[in-house]
Amino acid sequence: MAEQPHVLVRDLVKTYRVHEREAGAGASFRSLFKRKYKEVEAVKGVSFQLMPGEVVGFLGPNGAGKTTTLKMLSGLLYPTSGEARVLGFEPWKREAAYLRQLSYVLGNRSQLAWDIPAMDSYLVNQAIYEIPEKQFRETLDELVALLDLEKLLKKPVRGLSLGERMKCELAASLLHRPQVLFLDEPTLGVDVTMQNRIRQFVAEHNRRYNATVLLTSHYMADVTALCKRVIVIHHGKLLYDGDLAALSEKFAPFKQVRLDLQDMASAERAKEFGEVHSQEGTKVTLRLPREKTSSVVARLLAELPVIDLTVEDPAIEEVIDQVFQGVEA
Amino acid sequence: MKYWINIYRAHLKIGTAIMFQYRFAVLIWAVWGFVGPLLGLAVWSAASSSHGGNITGPQGATFTDRDFAAYFLVFMIVSHLTMSWDAFEFAFRVRDGNLSPRLLKPIHPIHGDLATNLAFKFVTSTMLLPIWALLFYFLKPSLPPPNWTQLLAIPAILIALVLRYIWQYSLALIAFWTTRVEAINQFYFTLDGFLAGRIAPLALLPGWLGVVATYSPFRSMGYFPVELILGRVPSDQILSGFLFQVFWLVVGVGVFRLMWAGGIKQYSAVGA
Repeated sequence: MAEQPHVLVRDLVKTYRVHEREAGAGASFRSLFKRKYKEVEAVKGVSFQLMPGEVVGFLGPNGAGKTTTLKMLSGLLYPTSGEARVLGFEPWKREAAYLRQLSYVLGNRSQLAWDIPAMDSYLVNQAIYEIPEKQFRETLDELVALLDLEKLLKKPVRGLSLGERMKCELAASLLHRPQVLFLDEPTLGVDVTMQNRIRQFVAEHNRRYNATVLLTSHYMADVTALCKRVIVIHHGKLLYDGDLAALSEKFAPFKQVRLDLQDMASAERAKEFGEVHSQEGTKVTLRLPREKTSSVVARLLAELPVIDLTVEDPAIEEVIDQVFQGVEA
Repeated sequence: MKYWINIYRAHLKIGTAIMFQYRFAVLIWAVWGFVGPLLGLAVWSAASSSHGGNITGPQGATFTDRDFAAYFLVFMIVSHLTMSWDAFEFAFRVRDGNLSPRLLKPIHPIHGDLATNLAFKFVTSTMLLPIWALLFYFLKPSLPPPNWTQLLAIPAILIALVLRYIWQYSLALIAFWTTRVEAINQFYFTLDGFLAGRIAPLALLPGWLGVVATYSPFRSMGYFPVELILGRVPSDQILSGFLFQVFWLVVGVGVFRLMWAGGIKQYSAVGA
């Protein structure tokens, strides 16, 4: 029998009705008697599916509809229309059997009790999710080791730094070994070392439990480190769903050639070989169409005094930027 | 059943831990509960003195100084055991979005909140016990001799606790529709204070007001258990007192369920 998708989304739409008024006391008074509402379409017919064990990046600029989609999939929002099944459940029915297998980490919201150590909140989760003592201890030991939590568990949560709190939040979300994990900006505001830790940890959780992960992040490093596949959404519409590597080919059909040249005159001449992306003294970065890259590189090496030359794909941030600019245009 | 025992035990533990983190603030809140009843006692004692030592209600119920002392002291304890403040907390959570992490758990948020409420009562009652004892010693209330009907106050207080809790939680759910619920809360608390007997024993309320108070749910939330302890409920009215409590409890649960179902839809329609 063919494997069923863990997440199935079909033509999902969410429209908010928002109260709107001009600034000022007059407008405020008028709105008492006559209210104006505006319909805001946050998600406009999005469809995709995730197979068990997939880790997928969910990308889009602010206001693209990422969080609204995740909230519908986790049962926090009712859709305006469309269909979604997660682990076979309709999320917005919020059945306990579904919520037991799900975790949704909201980077800006806390599930931990603020005034007491995180360990106390973990014990409440143990009771709520009915985690057997042996499994609880095993998972906790794993989490403590992977996230270096030992010293944090006894401190009141309000005394933790943002990064420390985020680690404790993640641990709280994973104690019950969820089958589906929605991560909304899990590395928001944490330093580079901590970001790496969290990435390793998510990868490890996915590997151990074959959990399906849908991740949004403004840090492309999170996406490149964890996701082979990305879904790109903009203005509520799906723009791309596929391989992360293929995203570059589709939306940025060029390569970047970094050149370190012997003198400024050569640097000036290099500009004749392609579009200049950036220049810093004798270091020039050119953008070349993919199909012409090898021939132009051969000419550069033959005609200019090159000290060093590297050919690379554009940074994923630039590709994404390219995608969104293309849509705006 | 074991599941729920574990859930409440875990919540009670962290609820108690949080209370101990803020023990002085908690104690001040608890002591604040003295103010209303002691003020009521002072006013009614003065009124009683100026009426020749006692006051008689329209139905013939009589209260002397020491009866008022007994009433307001017992009311103070019952009121402490049945109090609830969730209407305010809930509105904050809806407004700042902190309800969302709670909705992601496979358990209704009311259980955690109720356990926290119970933890508050456990911690503060332990702190207040000596103060209550001192007040009883100095104010010399006139309490009836112990009898079996007073034992019925235990289930009456338990029902009153759940009843007041579910009604206040239902009121809190208005925050799903309008996040500025303070005025509604204030109105409700004023009604609660007046019709549950915080300002005066209901037996002293005049005519129609006494009738309204008798049939309102607020009587079942506090006044009825107080009357049972003070031996002021005629034996043929005890059963009807409990039936009123159960009736209002069933109504409260029904209203709560309807409001929750509608409120969650509303919350998730506008953006959780």
